[in-house]
Amino acid sequence: MSSVANDSVGDLGRHVPALSSALRPHPLDELREWGGSPLVRGKRVLDLGCGDGRLALGVARFATRVEGIDPDPAAVAAAKRNARKAGVRNVRFTAGAAQHLPYPDAAFDLVILSWTL
Amino acid sequence: MVDALVEVHRVLAPGGILVDARPDSRVQAYAERRKPRGFQRFGVVKTSRLELANDRASDRAITRVVRDGLFKRRRAGRFWHRVPFGDLAELRRYLWEHLRFVHRAEWVVDVATRKRHSNDQFVIRRAVRYELLAALRTPRNSRKRD
Repeated sequence: MSSVANDSVGDLGRHVPALSSALRPHPLDELREWGGSPLVRGKRVLDLGCGDGRLALGVARFATRVEGIDPDPAAVAAAKRNARKAGVRNVRFTAGAAQHLPYPDAAFDLVILSWTL
Repeated sequence: MVDALVEVHRVLAPGGILVDARPDSRVQAYAERRKPRGFQRFGVVKTSRLELANDRASDRAITRVVRDGLFKRRRAGRFWHRVPFGDLAELRRYLWEHLRFVHRAEWVVDVATRKRHSNDQFVIRRAVRYELLAALRTPRNSRKRD
């Protein structure tokens, strides 16, 4: 299956990879390939390397709670802006490293590494 | 990478799922021109050697945590994704400046044809691979990490 975004990418993503959402598949397209909304529905989700929140915000409507974490503070700030703009309330974004996650044991049902590893 | 995956295992509930999705550098990407019906392929876009090495390191990290009993492979697959560009010049600029790719996509047609279509929409069609892994309750062994 193949998908194509609506808008061209322009300069986006060349110099700031964390903010390169326009280069990525639409979150719902990606989720559909992984198995669809049942994978996320009612789950506690961690989007590791969330960038500007593309995927976290995309799956938030299905999940109980979504946490996004990214080492780039600018990306996290963009993610928070995007969440406010979209009116999504069950998502929280944090700046941090994958090697030291600021969450307790067994805190999530699903962890997503989308274009991260 | 292995350290990060061990952290992921810690924060996942037993039986929880890890999704690893990333560009699939094992297959080539393609430069295409949008036509009234479908797309015309006109070039191949290869991945840089550095990125290939990074992708292999990621593969090894996943293999390691599976071997160590932290995760069990559940399902894997691949899909194709098109990255759109406003015109040919935009696509070329992107390829020149994007570190992931190495080869320039050249459209080998006569000048008149290129001019006629230079404002068409162009895309890069690339593969995305994904894998779902289930977190196991306890490691099968406690081999020391690197």
